[in-house]
Amino acid sequence: MIPDYLAEFFGNKFIGYLIAAALPLFLWILPYALYAVYAERKVSAFMQDRIGPNRVGPKGLFQTIADILKLIQKEDIVPASADKPLFVMAPYVIFAGTFAAFAALPFSSIYIGSNINLGVFYIMAVSSFSVVGILMAGWAGNNKYSLYGAMRSVAQIVSYEVPALLAIVSAVMVIGSLNLNEISEMQTAYFWNWWIFGGPVVGIKKFLLIIPMTIAFIIFFIASLAEVNRTPFDIPEAESELVAGFHTEYTGMKFAMFFLAEYGNMFVVSAISVSIFFGGWQSPFGYLGNSLGISWLIPVEQVFWFLFKGSLLVLVQMWLRWTLPRLRVDQLMTVCWKYLTPYAFINLVLIGIITLF
Amino acid sequence: MTTYDLIFYLFALIILVSAFIVVAARNIIYSAFSLLFTFFGVAGIYVLLNADFIAVVQVIIYVGGILVLIIFGVMLTNKITEVEIKTESFQVLPSIIISGIIGGTLVAIFTKTNWKVAEPQILDKTVTEIGRFLVSHYMILFELAGIILLVALIGSVMIARKEKLETEEVEK
Amino acid sequence: MENNSIQNILESLNYFTPELALMLTFFVLLLVDLFFRKSKYLLPAISLVGFIVSGYLLVYTPDVKGFLFSTGMTNIGLYVIDPFSFFFKILILLAMIYTILFSLSSKEINEAGGNRGEYYVLLSSFALGMFLLTSTIDLLLMYLSFELVSLSSYILAGFTRNVKRSAEASLKYIIFGAVASGAMLYGISILYGLTGTTNLYLINFYLSNQNIESLPLVIAGLLIIGGIGFKISMAPFHFWTPDVYEGAPITITAVLSVASKAAGFALLIRSLKIMFIDYTATNLQSSAWAILSQFKWNELIAGLAVLTMTLGNLAALWQSNLKRMLAYSSIAHAGYMLTGFVILDNQGIMAILIYFFIYLFMNLGAFFVVMLIADKLGSEEMEDYTGLGYKAPFLGVSLTIFLISLTGIPPTAGFVAKLYLFGALIKAKWIWLAVIGVLNSVISLYYYLKVVKNMFLRESEIEYSHNLGHGNLLITLSLLIPTLLFGIYFKPIIEFAEQSVRIFGF
Repeated sequence: MIPDYLAEFFGNKFIGYLIAAALPLFLWILPYALYAVYAERKVSAFMQDRIGPNRVGPKGLFQTIADILKLIQKEDIVPASADKPLFVMAPYVIFAGTFAAFAALPFSSIYIGSNINLGVFYIMAVSSFSVVGILMAGWAGNNKYSLYGAMRSVAQIVSYEVPALLAIVSAVMVIGSLNLNEISEMQTAYFWNWWIFGGPVVGIKKFLLIIPMTIAFIIFFIASLAEVNRTPFDIPEAESELVAGFHTEYTGMKFAMFFLAEYGNMFVVSAISVSIFFGGWQSPFGYLGNSLGISWLIPVEQVFWFLFKGSLLVLVQMWLRWTLPRLRVDQLMTVCWKYLTPYAFINLVLIGIITLF
Repeated sequence: MTTYDLIFYLFALIILVSAFIVVAARNIIYSAFSLLFTFFGVAGIYVLLNADFIAVVQVIIYVGGILVLIIFGVMLTNKITEVEIKTESFQVLPSIIISGIIGGTLVAIFTKTNWKVAEPQILDKTVTEIGRFLVSHYMILFELAGIILLVALIGSVMIARKEKLETEEVEK
Repeated sequence: MENNSIQNILESLNYFTPELALMLTFFVLLLVDLFFRKSKYLLPAISLVGFIVSGYLLVYTPDVKGFLFSTGMTNIGLYVIDPFSFFFKILILLAMIYTILFSLSSKEINEAGGNRGEYYVLLSSFALGMFLLTSTIDLLLMYLSFELVSLSSYILAGFTRNVKRSAEASLKYIIFGAVASGAMLYGISILYGLTGTTNLYLINFYLSNQNIESLPLVIAGLLIIGGIGFKISMAPFHFWTPDVYEGAPITITAVLSVASKAAGFALLIRSLKIMFIDYTATNLQSSAWAILSQFKWNELIAGLAVLTMTLGNLAALWQSNLKRMLAYSSIAHAGYMLTGFVILDNQGIMAILIYFFIYLFMNLGAFFVVMLIADKLGSEEMEDYTGLGYKAPFLGVSLTIFLISLTGIPPTAGFVAKLYLFGALIKAKWIWLAVIGVLNSVISLYYYLKVVKNMFLRESEIEYSHNLGHGNLLITLSLLIPTLLFGIYFKPIIEFAEQSVRIFGF
């Protein structure tokens, strides 16, 4: 485990763990967010038959880096009538919620920020910090659009937490663990051992589980789209109605923080899906390191597979964003309370019955 | 002083400072938001006590549920574009005296008492143990809590439903 | 061990049937309300059937069974069944059945429209909570059932949503209730810290065998007594009573003043007696028992009792609203009943039980007549009662009898109740307390008779005619006859109470 190794290297448990905890931020979140923004623009351009960014660097690859440089240089404006302390605090609270979630994500068999037993449950819990942060930002801006955006956003997140948690609970019931690292370890060997295909269960039960597990994944995926405020559930940020939702008043680096948090959240929910349903850091068809006999290659491959699968799901989210129209508020609530939640409950009971045998 | 002590005092400080702001802030929205840090600190203390499940539940229920509800309540009951929402204190002197007496008594109790200390146990999987307890030892309490929540739900729906019913009757 | 504990729980459920019946009633009502919203008599009928079935099961469960739901060694059970809880459960069921009957003819409830379903649903959860309170022996279960009772009653108190004072009553009740249960929880936590257990019997075991400081114990006890005192409207915690009783629908006021008070008393007596009894100094053969030496809880209760009855009676003197006056009078009655605990003798507890049984009929009767008159008159002001005795002679005479009984004047049952209570006090040499009790009864005579004077000795021009209907007549009679009968022939109550003083383990 990397955290333990670092702890030994520095001779102090806490320094080692602190550095280990900062690793995903610098090694993954920042570069990922930069290129996720780029990917989003390219995807949207592709779908709308445009070219997209193509000036800075080859194929516009350095476009977002230039954007970040621009944002850093900009003046950090706090509107005169804003509630200053809350206004300053809000982006950090939101980002803290996102970043804290990375602590329980297993990037590979040798790296997980904190190998706690409550993994998924913990991630769902810390995401509520983001909720409060959004309210804080919406309120502090002292702008009606911000406040409407914040209200919508929070109402949506709180509602969709119910089906999301139910879907996770129904999967966890079969798995018997909340620890994402343990869950990933179980789905070893080949892709038919992923939980979405019934997991490493033998016999008829495996085939019975395929359908409910798929339903659980779909429910979780839809609910997680709403939780990260992505289209078709982007009414909190609906550009055509609310300017930009809760971060209307933000500029400069603070604005960038919101973007970082948003893209970070997209990855977190994808990573939860990946860990629970798609084998986590397990490779779908065995490791190259095993066949070549190079043992240090295995963890590297695992990191690759984890990030690859996660990014793929992020890409699906982008694809959906530029395909589907936005829902109305009442439709949004109908989808959650009249469809997703009851189906999630039925699915829960179904899986419960299957696990009894 | 070990590092754990340091972390404990850090969380204790967070709790105390934010709880003080909750009580003392003149702007009610500040009180509501600083509750966030109080809950966070309490969750931290739970983690130090090896009660990870309680810590996570504390965050998910208090921060994700109750705090959001409180903030919503504050925002919806006032003119929402106005930041100025004030709270005031009355009867400062009597309340200081009374809370001083109560606080003094409590401090005396907590410092002087010979508490019954249980053997510290470090459980590998707290969730499993809690689940097992809830369906065996405390089953009746668990079910009763379900009924209480249902009653609370019925009550709140009943109170909130008011106006809709009245308009329905008018329409008829 | 797991299998064993599940076995134990399943076995315990056999003794838990009355409560299960109430739970079932709760859920059936909830579902029926969903589909048959329009029907007027279906829901009360189902609740009545549920309560009667529960009563039937109650009578046929065994007399004594200790430590239900006990599993393993760490926990010696949460629940007991004993004659003491049986008595209070019967009392609660009677009060609930009367409340349902009252509700049938109550204008306030019937005009509430769409919410009537919730009314009956909440009444059944209310009953369930009180059932649990009467026989819990675990602080956790005690707190949870306390909350169930409180939550149901908060909502019921604000049931008539269109009336402003009803909403106000509900809000005040919630605020006071939240403080009270918070205090109680704090007390429980201190007690748990001292003894490391939530079971009342184990707490008693630790308290008698370990050397425990008295300060934290006293504070914890005070906080818990305060929490329970809120439920029984004991003096420093009684502020909510007049407002809530006045604002709530009368049916709810009636049930709050009888049933929820009964549950509170059962809990108070049981928890204090079990927690603080001193085994070594108590001779279990005799009816008297001793209390642990850390603190004289009975002297504290004596002080609170005096405060409660005096405050209640003095405040009642100035009231012009009948409901409010009855609220203060119910505070005073709580004060009288508390004195029964002071003497640390089963005689005293028996007196409390007798008092409660009689109080049920007379208090419910008074509230019912006030409700009938208020539905017709649209007012509960004493001024509007002038000359009522001639225009509605039956109601006037009934109300007079109920009020006289509440005062405690001879031919009525109220006299018997007070006789036993004060008799027990004098026998145990608490003469000053008995004297204060008697003095208070004299004060109460003034305000009870003021109503009677208004009804019979003053003329008025207000037009009033009352067609009572057979149902209401029967209900009034069913309350009136016991009130008079038990004043003359009270042997059965005495015997019933005598059998019921037995608390499990003593």
